[in-house]
Amino acid sequence: MSGRVIVITSGKGGVGKTTTNANIGTALARAGKKVVMIDTDLGLRNLDLLLGLENRIVYTIVDVVEERCKLKQALVKDKKNPNLCLLAAAQTRDKSAVTEEQLKDICEKLKKDFDFILVDCPAGIEQGFQNAVAGASEAIVVTTPEMSAVRDADRIIGLLEAKEEIKSYKLLLNRVRPNLIKSNDMMSVDDVVEILSADLIGIIPEDTGIITSTNKGEPIVNDEKSLAGKAYNNVARRIIGEDVPFLNLEEPQGVMAKIKKFFSGLTGKEK
Amino acid sequence: MILANLYNKVIGFFRQTEVQETESAKETACNRLRVVLMQDRTNLTPELMERMRKELVELLSKYVEMDKDALELNLEQDGDQVALMLSIPVIRAKDEDEIKAALEAEDKEEETSEEGSDEASEDEAEAAAEEEDDDDDENIDDNLEQSSENDESEENKPDNTDEGNDKKDR
Repeated sequence: MSGRVIVITSGKGGVGKTTTNANIGTALARAGKKVVMIDTDLGLRNLDLLLGLENRIVYTIVDVVEERCKLKQALVKDKKNPNLCLLAAAQTRDKSAVTEEQLKDICEKLKKDFDFILVDCPAGIEQGFQNAVAGASEAIVVTTPEMSAVRDADRIIGLLEAKEEIKSYKLLLNRVRPNLIKSNDMMSVDDVVEILSADLIGIIPEDTGIITSTNKGEPIVNDEKSLAGKAYNNVARRIIGEDVPFLNLEEPQGVMAKIKKFFSGLTGKEK
Repeated sequence: MILANLYNKVIGFFRQTEVQETESAKETACNRLRVVLMQDRTNLTPELMERMRKELVELLSKYVEMDKDALELNLEQDGDQVALMLSIPVIRAKDEDEIKAALEAEDKEEETSEEGSDEASEDEAEAAAEEEDDDDDENIDDNLEQSSENDESEENKPDNTDEGNDKKDR
């Protein structure tokens, strides 16, 4: 087996890198792939929380690098899906505890046993980013339709293009709000794609369900009804190579949205 | 009370459509982003652009009389290429003697005689801008487009300012 190593990065913090990682990882595992996620955000780990695995971590990536345990011992199995593993970041150390070479080495070893190695990258463009990218050959750049996030994504894309090891990168547009786009208050998907001139791999709508799913430690892809969950599932299918059309986010979902739309239609334009 | 509410809503509705006709938040965001990304990508800071602008004014003044403050130099995205857009509001074309005098004065100063062409204003501008560009950043795929008008009509100035506004709106 020779797995694909995909780094999930963004430049700006808070755009949903870790959420994306947890959901794509879970979706790929649900599709029957063997997946391992590596949290490289040393000192600020969160992927364990999103997966609800925070109480199961015994060893971290730093323990592996400093040879206090074997690589396999440090892999935490997911509660539900045996195909899914997490290699957690150390919470008490900083970015310098693991080097680019060491991460490359870990990725190489994991490639033999897994179909997908998803690397969760810290925010920023410093050493943490360089480390996370080191072992990867593909990248997903997460951004939102906000100016600062798009600008940072552009920086990241520039840096990724300069890296020989990165063979391809794709854009994932997160927290899209169709009603704001419709009223011309927010950049549209097309605007962002045109400005960054990058290929799109997914459009994820803003979804309050993400908050509750994070609180429960349960990725939203497990919720069949959630639109964001569906969108993440589609991203996973595209990664596998399926040709999946993008979701139509234009139409309001659910009864409440329809009622709201009905009333706002009556009063002209509210808000 | 209800009437007042309704009135506000109706007025608000019209105000909103009015605003959208000028520039929506989305358009503002897109335009601002394009400018800032071009600066990020080329390493041409506003200070460097201003310096380039001043040097161009100095150079072009030898050939044409122009509105120095209105010369606009902008980076624009043209597909995958970054273009330097130069808009020069010409007040009056200088006559041969004036140009010659200016050039001779300069030749004396520098004691290097490269070119004495009379009507080289366009080529000169292009060459100069490209040179500048190379000096400041070698990575830019420079592609200079010049939108100057050399004839002496009175409409020149308003014409050019309109052009400038058009560009910003795009």
